[in-house]
Order: sequence, then C-alpha cells, then structure tokens
Amino acid sequence: MTTTNDVPARPGVQVGSASEFTLFFTVLPGHAQALRDALRDLQNSPGYRPGDYEVPIASIHEARFVLFDDDTRLLFATSFDGPWDAYMEDFAAKPLQLFAAIFEHVEGFHGLPDVAAVKSFILGAQVSAAAYARNYPGTVKEHRRALRLAAAFQQVLDDPRAEEALSHPALKPLLDEASVA
Amino acid sequence: MTTGDDVTLDLDDIQSGALRERPSPYVGRYLLLRLDDVAQGRELVRRLHALLEDQRSASPSATRAWLTVAFTYEGLKALGVPPSSLDSFPREFREGMAARAQELGDVGESGPERWEPPLGSPDVHVAVSVLAPDPPALEAVAERARSRYADLASVAVVWRQDCYQLPSGRTSFGFKDGIGNPDIEGSGLVPRNSRERPIKAGEFILGYPDETGSLAPMPIPDVLGRNGTYLVFRKLHTNVAAYRRYLRDRARDRQEERLLAAKMVGRWPSGAPLALAPDRDEPSLGADPHRNNDFAYGDDPGGFKCPAGAHSRRANPRDSLESELTTDTRLHRMVRRGTSYGPQLPDDVLDDDGADRGIIFVFAGAHLKRQFEFVKTQWLNDGIFIGAPAERDPLVGAHQQPTDFTMARRPIRRRLRDVPPFVVTRGGEYCFAPGLRALRWLGELDT
Repeated sequence: MTTTNDVPARPGVQVGSASEFTLFFTVLPGHAQALRDALRDLQNSPGYRPGDYEVPIASIHEARFVLFDDDTRLLFATSFDGPWDAYMEDFAAKPLQLFAAIFEHVEGFHGLPDVAAVKSFILGAQVSAAAYARNYPGTVKEHRRALRLAAAFQQVLDDPRAEEALSHPALKPLLDEASVA
Repeated sequence: MTTGDDVTLDLDDIQSGALRERPSPYVGRYLLLRLDDVAQGRELVRRLHALLEDQRSASPSATRAWLTVAFTYEGLKALGVPPSSLDSFPREFREGMAARAQELGDVGESGPERWEPPLGSPDVHVAVSVLAPDPPALEAVAERARSRYADLASVAVVWRQDCYQLPSGRTSFGFKDGIGNPDIEGSGLVPRNSRERPIKAGEFILGYPDETGSLAPMPIPDVLGRNGTYLVFRKLHTNVAAYRRYLRDRARDRQEERLLAAKMVGRWPSGAPLALAPDRDEPSLGADPHRNNDFAYGDDPGGFKCPAGAHSRRANPRDSLESELTTDTRLHRMVRRGTSYGPQLPDDVLDDDGADRGIIFVFAGAHLKRQFEFVKTQWLNDGIFIGAPAERDPLVGAHQQPTDFTMARRPIRRRLRDVPPFVVTRGGEYCFAPGLRALRWLGELDT
C-alpha cells in the first residue's frame, strides 16, 4: 500500500509552454558498459536516429542522455510541453518503460513496480535548473504545424504564378514574407 | 456486493453518490454545517450515519431520496480526528480549495476573497447533499435530516443551496450535461461506452487498485479511508445572457448560432455528441444513454467534427492523446454529479436579468490532484496539450483575458476571437465522503 506522498511539487523552470526536466542518476556499479550499449541501441532505434524527428513521446522538444564522472552518473535532460510534475504518474504508464533498458542500469529503478516507486525514482533524481532559456516560443505541436505551413508556403513560392496570386490584398502578410522566405 | 473483473466493491459501505446515478429529474439541496463543539459534532455524525444506514437498508424501489455526507479538512479537525490521521490526507485536501485558487485559476472575479461566505473559510465543516425525485420527497428527507441536528445547539447551518436537474437534463447554457461519466469496473452498472474498458474502481473509491495498479494514497487508519471518496463541489455562476449574445453576434443566422454553440460544447443541446452527429442535432441520439456516450475521436484527429478545444473533448479527450505517450487519459477521469441552480433564463432572452444561476459542479474521485486539478489546470485552463497554448476552454476555462476558440473547417478553419469568460466561481470546497464504517468510526471517536 502506498502512503501519502507529501513531497512538494517541483515543476522545473518553465519558459512559455515548455518546462525543463533534468534528472541525475547514479549508475549501478559494473553497469557502465551495458548502459553505454543500451544508449547506443536507443540512438539507433526508429524515431531516435538523427534526422528521424519522431521521438515517441510527442510533447518533448528534444532530449539527451549524458554519461559523466567516469560513467558513474547519468544525466537525462529534456524540455517538456507543460508542467512535468502534473504528468508524473502518466510517465509511469509508458514513457518511463520505454527507457527501461536504460534505467535498469541506474540506482532506484527496480522496474518501478508502483506509483510510489515512480515518484521516488523521479523526485530522487530531478533537480530544477538554476538557469533556463529558450530561443523560440511554442509547443512541439505548434512547431510541427509551423514547419508544415512553411513547407507549403515554399511550394507556393516555387510556382511561377505565386507573385500574381500573392498580390491579392488578403495575402499581404504572406507577400511580406515572400521576398526572404 | 457486485463482482467486477477482479475486484469486489463493498457497495453497502460506499456512499451511493459516488457510484450510483441519480434519479432524473430531481431536486436537491446542499447544506454546509459548522461544528462548534466536538461532542455535538460526533453526535451529529452518529445520527447522520444512522440515516445513511436506513437509506442503505431500504429497498431500491422504496428509496425516495439520496443523502450524502462529506467533511472538509477543517471539519475533520473539528471532530477531533487525531493529528496523525489528519496529516495522512493528501496535501490538496488539507490545504482546501481556496488555498489552491491561484493554481485553479480562481482569481479576479472568481477569487476566494470574493466568494460567497462562508465558502472557502474555516467555518465549513460538514457538507450534506439531499436529492429527491420531487419537492415533497426532498422536504421529507430534508426534514428528517434537520430533525437530526435541530436540537444540537453547536451545529450551525452556515450555507444552503437548492438545486435541480431539469427533465431535459439541460443546464443554464441549454445543453444536456453529465453524460460522459466513466464506466466503473465492479459498479454493477451496464457500461455505456463500448470504446473504452471500464475504469478501475480504485480511481474513484479508496481501498481498491487503481489504473496504476496501486492503491490511491489513503488516510490512516484504514477504517477511515477505505470506501471513501473525495468530493469537489464548486458553485459556478454562468453568464448566460453574455454567452447567448456572444453567439448571436458571431453567427450569420440561427442555424449557425446553434452550430457554433455545439462546437464550443462538443455536443448538441440534446446531448448528441458532434463525433456522431457532426452536422445537426439528433434528439433521439442525445436521449439514448446507450449511444450518447458510445464514441471516440480516433476518426477525427483534426477536430473537423468535434474541435480539439471543445469543452467536452477537453474534459475527456477519450482516445485523442493515445498516440502521444505523454498522457494516460485513464488517470484523469472524473465522476461528475453536477446540477443546476437558480432560475433558467427564458429562451431567446439576451439581456442579463441579474438572477444568480449556474451549475453546482460536483466531482467524485480518489485523486484530487491528478483527476480534478489536472483536468482543470491542464485541459480546461490551458491549451498546451492541444498545441494551442493561448486557448482556454471556451465555456468554463479560467481566463482573465478573452480567449480564442478554433474550429477546424474546410477549406478554412474558423476562429472565434475574444471569447469572454462565461463562468464565475462563487466558491467551493474539497471534501471527503467516508464509507459508512468510517462514519461510524468518526462518530465514535473518543479522543
């Protein structure tokens, strides 16, 4: 049975829609090589390969795992759309298990049998950033939409009739962007 | 007792409000009591417990009224519940709704400093709700309850609110409400949504496994927590005239006005969901409890039928977020037992008549934070999860500034600008409705 978890929420530093989510783990003794192998496997799996841009967790902007202190510590750092602490129990269902092959090499994982274990695993590792800045606003969803829109606009500009079409007064904001887009 | 897949619920011990649907239509009354004396408070609890026992042993056909009893944290303190037990309640409950106002968006006109007294104050100890099919039955049971505290000089009624549900089930905004309640494993009720496995009972009742496979955090001792549920009630004033005027101003004609209104709600006035009836209301669908909640959004990810930001899709996104892995929607379900108060604004009236009308929102669940507070803060008061951070729920979202509401539409999306807030929080409380044995335990405390 779990008992009331009274650890105060530490939502991470939020800038606009995203909050930083930074976890520091201790690598189990003797597991460094296995952990490196697991991280390499992750890097090579669909969605995580450079250029895939299909990380299965749809609301993170990017994520990194960093081994440091002679492979005795592991950093996981990401930017998450929303206050991550509100989603802590959601993480247990799927996202954390996605990384089970990695986290099984750090202290405190034990397969995360229940919510109390998940909470203590995350809260034991999370440290809020002392400084955090972003270079663009918006959510992952908005960026994907914006990129789709930008690609469509390029297609329009590549059409020889674009200049004539964009000269309609209703399209002035697009025409204003057209010269350098 | 009723057997679910792998859980047997102690239905005789659970207060019926959490799992049982109510009669419809009905009239009801909410009472808030203050306890000025521990001994009299416990005497009251013993008497209310006896009433609930009578209610439990009455045959269902003879049941003419439904009584529910719940306590705020201050109320448990006033009953002399031991500190070790008080401390074992979740932080949100101990703090109370007023302390969570900033988080919940209850600011400005909805701020606790402007709430109806004594809501949000330490004077609210016991919440009693009485529902009955008609006014005489309500008066009869209210009188029975009243007779249980009338001679207790240290028990004061500090707030009273009458409420009702219209035969149509419609609230002041003109839409049938309370349809999307989850099917609960082991409740003994026929599931209404074939697209979703029933939700584990532990999501709503303490002492049973929940969707995470764990038990929800339970207060100690075990007898106090088991079969209990947290109740949230909020008195929400609705600006019906402003709402109607807004729609009238934005619509070309009455038909479009109805469509815009339905898009904001995600359902038609009859309750027919846009997911099944995208173009026009289908009253027979809205009236059919076996069809009006039997749908998902998987075939409409873009929100062409039901906008992603529609009220009912925000409050219960169903399968909308399934592919994203971020959110397990089964962890954020709410049993809602909302009801109406105040006179309905007559049809077609666009000017405010000054009357206080609205909704008494009632939530039941095992997790104040990851159910009620999550839905309120992440899904209704925010738009990050649908990739529209600037948008709020168009009906009940907390926004000091007007918000936008976007409807996917071919060839060009439609966006409503400057949607003002249509709902003002008049107050509310976080309560705990113990099981019957827990009530007896409370009544027999001898600290």
